[in-house]
Amino acid sequence: MKKNLIIGFIAFFCFTAIISCKKSFVVVDPKGKTLTENFYKTEADATGAIIATYDAIRKNSGGFENMITMMNAGSDDHIAGGEGAADGVGIQGFSNYTLNATIIPASFWNDHYQGIFRANILLEKLPGIAMNAALKSRYEGEAKALRGLYYFNLVRMYKNIPLILTQLTPLSMREQVQAAPSAIYAQIEADLMTAKTLLPVVLPASESGRLSKGAVQALLGKVLLYEGKKTQAAVEFADVNGTPGGTSIYGYKLLNNFSDLWVVSNRFNTESIIEVSHTNLSKTGWGNWGQGTDEGNSVCIMVGPRNYTRPTVSTAPDLQSGWSFNCITTDLYNAIKLDPRFGATVIDVAALKTAGQADYGPGYQNTGYFLNKYCPRKSDVSTAGGNWELNYQQDSYVMRLADTYLMEAEALVPSSRADALVNAVRARVGLLPITGVTLADIKLERRLELAGEGHRFFDLVRWGDAASKLASRGFVAGKNEVFPIKSTELDNTKLVQNPGY
Amino acid sequence: MKKLFKGLALCMMLLVSVVGFAQNKTVTGKVLGEKGEAIANASVVAKGTAKGTKTNANGEFTLDVPANATTLVVSSVGFGAKQVGITGGALEISLASTSNKLDDVIVNVGYGTQKKSVVTGAISRVTSKDLEKVPSGNVAQALQGRVSGVSVAQSSGQPGSLSTVRIRGNTTFTGAGNNPLWVVDNVVVADGAIGYLNQSDIESIEVLKDAASAAIYGTRAASGVIVVTTKKGTQGKMSINYNGFYGTSSPEKVLKLLNATQYGAIMNEKSINDGGAVLYPNLSILGEGTDWQKTIFNTDARRVNHELSLSGGTDKSTFYLSLGALNQQGIVTPEISNYNRKTIRLNSTHKISKIFTFGQTLGFQHSVSKGLGNTNSEFGGPLSSAINLDPTTPIVELDPLKAAAYPASAFRDANGNPYGISTKPLQEMTNPLAYTQTRLGNSSWGNEFIGNAFLEANLMKGLKFKTTFGAKLSNWGDDGFTPVYYLNSITSTLQNSYSKNSNNVFDWNIENVLSYNRKIKNHDFTILLGQGAYNEGNGGGSNATHKNLPITNYRDASFSWNIAATDKTGGAYEFIEHHVSSLFTRLNYNYKEKYLFTGILRRDGSSRFGINNKYGVFPSASLGWIVNKENFWKQNSILNTLKVRAGYGVVGNDNYPDHRFLSLVTGGYNYYVGNLITIGSAPQTLDNPDLHWEQTAQTNFGFDARLFNKINLTVEYFKKRTTGILQQVPIPGYVGVSSRPWDNIADMNNSGTEFELGYKNQIGQVNFSANGNFSTLKNKVTFVGANLDFIADEAASFQQMGIVTRTQVGQAYNSFYGLQTAGIFQTVAEIGNYKNGSGGMIQPLAKPGDFKWTDLNGDGKIDGNDKTYLGNSIPKYTYGLTLNFDFKGFDLMTFMQGAGGNKIFKGLRRLIGETNYQTDVFSRWTGPGTSNTYPRLTTTDANGNYTQMSDFYLEKGDFLRLKVVQLGYNLPVGLVSKIRASKLRIYISAENLYTFTKYTGYTPEIGGGVYGIDKGVYPQARSYMAGVSVQF
Repeated sequence: MKKNLIIGFIAFFCFTAIISCKKSFVVVDPKGKTLTENFYKTEADATGAIIATYDAIRKNSGGFENMITMMNAGSDDHIAGGEGAADGVGIQGFSNYTLNATIIPASFWNDHYQGIFRANILLEKLPGIAMNAALKSRYEGEAKALRGLYYFNLVRMYKNIPLILTQLTPLSMREQVQAAPSAIYAQIEADLMTAKTLLPVVLPASESGRLSKGAVQALLGKVLLYEGKKTQAAVEFADVNGTPGGTSIYGYKLLNNFSDLWVVSNRFNTESIIEVSHTNLSKTGWGNWGQGTDEGNSVCIMVGPRNYTRPTVSTAPDLQSGWSFNCITTDLYNAIKLDPRFGATVIDVAALKTAGQADYGPGYQNTGYFLNKYCPRKSDVSTAGGNWELNYQQDSYVMRLADTYLMEAEALVPSSRADALVNAVRARVGLLPITGVTLADIKLERRLELAGEGHRFFDLVRWGDAASKLASRGFVAGKNEVFPIKSTELDNTKLVQNPGY
Repeated sequence: MKKLFKGLALCMMLLVSVVGFAQNKTVTGKVLGEKGEAIANASVVAKGTAKGTKTNANGEFTLDVPANATTLVVSSVGFGAKQVGITGGALEISLASTSNKLDDVIVNVGYGTQKKSVVTGAISRVTSKDLEKVPSGNVAQALQGRVSGVSVAQSSGQPGSLSTVRIRGNTTFTGAGNNPLWVVDNVVVADGAIGYLNQSDIESIEVLKDAASAAIYGTRAASGVIVVTTKKGTQGKMSINYNGFYGTSSPEKVLKLLNATQYGAIMNEKSINDGGAVLYPNLSILGEGTDWQKTIFNTDARRVNHELSLSGGTDKSTFYLSLGALNQQGIVTPEISNYNRKTIRLNSTHKISKIFTFGQTLGFQHSVSKGLGNTNSEFGGPLSSAINLDPTTPIVELDPLKAAAYPASAFRDANGNPYGISTKPLQEMTNPLAYTQTRLGNSSWGNEFIGNAFLEANLMKGLKFKTTFGAKLSNWGDDGFTPVYYLNSITSTLQNSYSKNSNNVFDWNIENVLSYNRKIKNHDFTILLGQGAYNEGNGGGSNATHKNLPITNYRDASFSWNIAATDKTGGAYEFIEHHVSSLFTRLNYNYKEKYLFTGILRRDGSSRFGINNKYGVFPSASLGWIVNKENFWKQNSILNTLKVRAGYGVVGNDNYPDHRFLSLVTGGYNYYVGNLITIGSAPQTLDNPDLHWEQTAQTNFGFDARLFNKINLTVEYFKKRTTGILQQVPIPGYVGVSSRPWDNIADMNNSGTEFELGYKNQIGQVNFSANGNFSTLKNKVTFVGANLDFIADEAASFQQMGIVTRTQVGQAYNSFYGLQTAGIFQTVAEIGNYKNGSGGMIQPLAKPGDFKWTDLNGDGKIDGNDKTYLGNSIPKYTYGLTLNFDFKGFDLMTFMQGAGGNKIFKGLRRLIGETNYQTDVFSRWTGPGTSNTYPRLTTTDANGNYTQMSDFYLEKGDFLRLKVVQLGYNLPVGLVSKIRASKLRIYISAENLYTFTKYTGYTPEIGGGVYGIDKGVYPQARSYMAGVSVQF
């Protein structure tokens, strides 16, 4: 009996030992995530992949470190602002030209490369995906167009960057070296040229936010202009712009009313060429702010005046308080104060306070002038959930028609078409035409038309005017045309820091 | 779980039966030692019956025995058992002490016990006796300073918070992987859950320090194993114990900060230094201003603890039942900082038949805590705010004009005056009293059942089979109501919200162990074969948030309010299961208890690795030699016994996130297209199918000796080498993935020497004992990756400075890395003279009063390449000392512990111009010769005096803390017996009485993921307590 018991227990022991050693016990399948090898198979997968590539375009106006407030801060039109000298040390550093490899925010580099990575992997997998052939080629076009846009931002910000067109592996990732800027531009051109042939001319409303053929041509024109290839640039712009003041073949037309450009509901209007879409539906909170699931506009909260209040009866706009970034400089104020675009561009909150129409708390480097184009409206404050600060719905423009008008004019000046393009922009706001438009006229027109939209710094650098216009800020020629590369990016890689940093 | 409940029911029935005995005759007597000293707590049992009792402090006992009982069996730890016939009168029984007391100590070595004398590994032991005088609510904290090679640092002074425990230093790079494996009554308990243990329920704690011992727990044993055994009942009379104390706590230390007048003067100077205006022209009106620390610190935080236990049993069944209640207020903003815990424990064993024994342990805890929400952060929270807020802002704004300008959603005191909001740009720093209002409705709760049930079969002499089912069922969650608030211009909310989340997890494990012990002549061996399956993380959670409730007070918060559907949000999630499957075997062998050998082999499979690397095999072997048992050994009075030991073993670590070997595509890279948020998907990181077990190999040498018949000495030396450390690798941003991939990347060595010393003596009527330990630790990283020079840990970031540490080959893990100061420029000439080879100025932007940075690489300029290693946060040595005196009924215990040789990064200031300073700012540079260590004040700081990481931010972390002092008095037995108690002790106790340190922050004890970075750690409390313990 006892012997049997012993044998029985030992048998049981062996049995459990064998059972527990089954490999299946130590295999736990991931739930809610897809294995890469099972992804990139279907049309739905391809759609998910192209959307992930689009995700990075929100860098223009999403997150604390967004392109618009950053690029504004380094121009002669704005100061960094904020609460104090330590509020966003990266943006402060760019504004007072003390940016260095430590304080430069990593995301301006990283987020664009994340978009590029997602484009690269989709382009690599796309041939093997079973899907509608037309849609497949459109996705190829979109991936290339987006990759072109991201590289264009990178090369303008950092100039000396590695050209990554395939997925890197742990073995290859530290071997990358910086490409010549010309090689980057060549790749951008090639991508955009391909995209141009693959993208649709017209997008239905259900696809608003995606890129069209016109958008790619506009971007290509801009890239060529930055390269100094003015004739080629003008060719691309001609299709985009069409007859000055009229409707182009892509349906682009200047809005009649300049201020309508900044009405939140006026999304994807006829003047919009590349627009970044925002919504409060993602209910963004501080935890995912600036990440892939954040769809809100962050420029709005950032540029709003601090502690803004107004009496019950007031002529002042009904603004929500913000964080007082990107106050407008006296220099721009003086340049634009008599221009018809002043009201839509600038809110003189200091004057409203003096007049007893509103009150506010001055922020850092306060000038009292705020960027009205993106100032947060009470009506746009989200109550849908998440943190209201982060869920503004106003879209932002990467490119709009007035911009391409002025760039084509810049490519063609002096010429009658340049005159016509510039005067179309002026006529829209009721300004008298200029005959014999000069480059100087175009420069001024761009400054006033596009103030606060993140273009000015790049324009000054392209024109070679940065050193003179920004000298008082501490701009050093030969150095400050580009950002320093974040020091962590140089650690354990073959990258070389930009000159002067 | 069912098994556990059945066991519980069974035990309750037995408990009832224990109480109902009839009485026949009474035996009284006294138990004495060889020298005639009374032996307390000796067991006295009537032979052949279940009747038994224990002696009181005077060695006396009274026992009711059946009329037919003839013999008593008397035994006590450290003495041989004795049988005595029952005679008519009072008995006087003397016991002979066993020759070597070490022999009697039984050590839990994991899946079994061993006599301490034949243990070959490095195992330290703490018993209930050591712990009973330490009034800590947390078992990890109770280990602090008790055991060599184990460092314990409180992560926070928040009641109920966890401690950071490191056995023999940092074994790996991730915080979680460095936590030791806690095994409570055979159940693996996550580090975060160990708080469920009631300290007085602990019978013993064994710390398996070396790999040769820990290898039996192969998986996850790399950072050492802490084996906790809870109390079991003993046969004999039912014993009832109560221990309780009541105390009050206050901060051990407050910082000396500037008052308003001093602040104004300093701000003026700072502004003027850079050509700015005089900010406070009239200093005299500023006065003292606000002492923000006073608004947060509670100098009378109450602390109450009750522990009640019942234990007893028959020769068939024994039980131990305990109840505990702990309530502790925090010393910082007590309204939102407290901890309340209730525990119940039931352990029982039942001899079902000659062959079978069934047993169970079950612990339950319910806890509720409130926390500050934001600690050890330079970005706000009450502590950081109290340190950084300007003293010129009033606590409450009494100026009606100014008060009228406050927004409606600013908080107000009982008189309707708003809490002051600083007009300075202080960003996240907010009035702590107002901040407190936002968190009144926030609390966390947890319920936890942890237990096991086992069935043991004694199949034949020496052959045992034991099957154990262990389980843990946890529920925990947070409740929170956030009112509409306005703390300052960047910290506000427009809607109130009420949210709850709840989580549940069920972990279980099954272990089957077969062991065979046989002694053939002088060969004694035990073979153990075991199998285990472990399943963790079955569960998930959900959360719901309702916004815009029509209420303002958190007490009214409820999900029952009728609100718009759009104001309701919620979600749910699941945890990823972690499975481990194991086979293990151990051989213990000794020859004449003189030559000892232990060999262990364990094979583990983990769901965290890919198919090719799932299994890891972890072997170990250790040898021991008891020299004094040799024939050549001459008995002497100096070196009484000596055992030498050596061991080597390899253990593994899989403590890193799940599924990292797989290449996964995740959603969440979304974009708003048309009018829809469309889900975008992409790989979140690079995959690494080759991930495998991280391994730690450890060699240990040690000896145990008894000297002068009074001193026990144990010395250990270890060398630990971790290879293939699992780590998230920092990769270049241009790779384009949004999170970092994992890899087996680095290698690291730790080595150290440990001493444990015990001394016991009796001089007249004074008994004196001392237990001390001292450990050294040396940490060195030997490899960080094939093409990597170093790695940086983002967790060690400080504001715009960025990462302040580096992990580089040849240096200790996470060493501080920054510029080296070479004094302060006293004059313009000195700056001019600081030239490089080509005659250019090395620091052209510097002004007198700025730091002179050392141009370490000699390239004639100061930049990131001049940074160097400035020290490390890992203490080079730690120590602890316990002194016990007792005289007649009085006893005095003093326990102190300390650490040294480390640096602390003091990052208490938010680097904004207007934040307040500690008074050490008075030693700043104000002109030639005024200071060579504290630079001038500056608003622009072009030289980076304050914004660059340098040795300026580092302070020595050495400390010696008088941790516990306790004075107790045992009431005379005559008095005590009147209330039918066998023992009654009253005591007063002080905790954290004083800390000797030069560190100028709140506390030099800074735990957490990255050791030694102080951004405003919740300070430790100094407590005074009075308590009583009674035994019936």
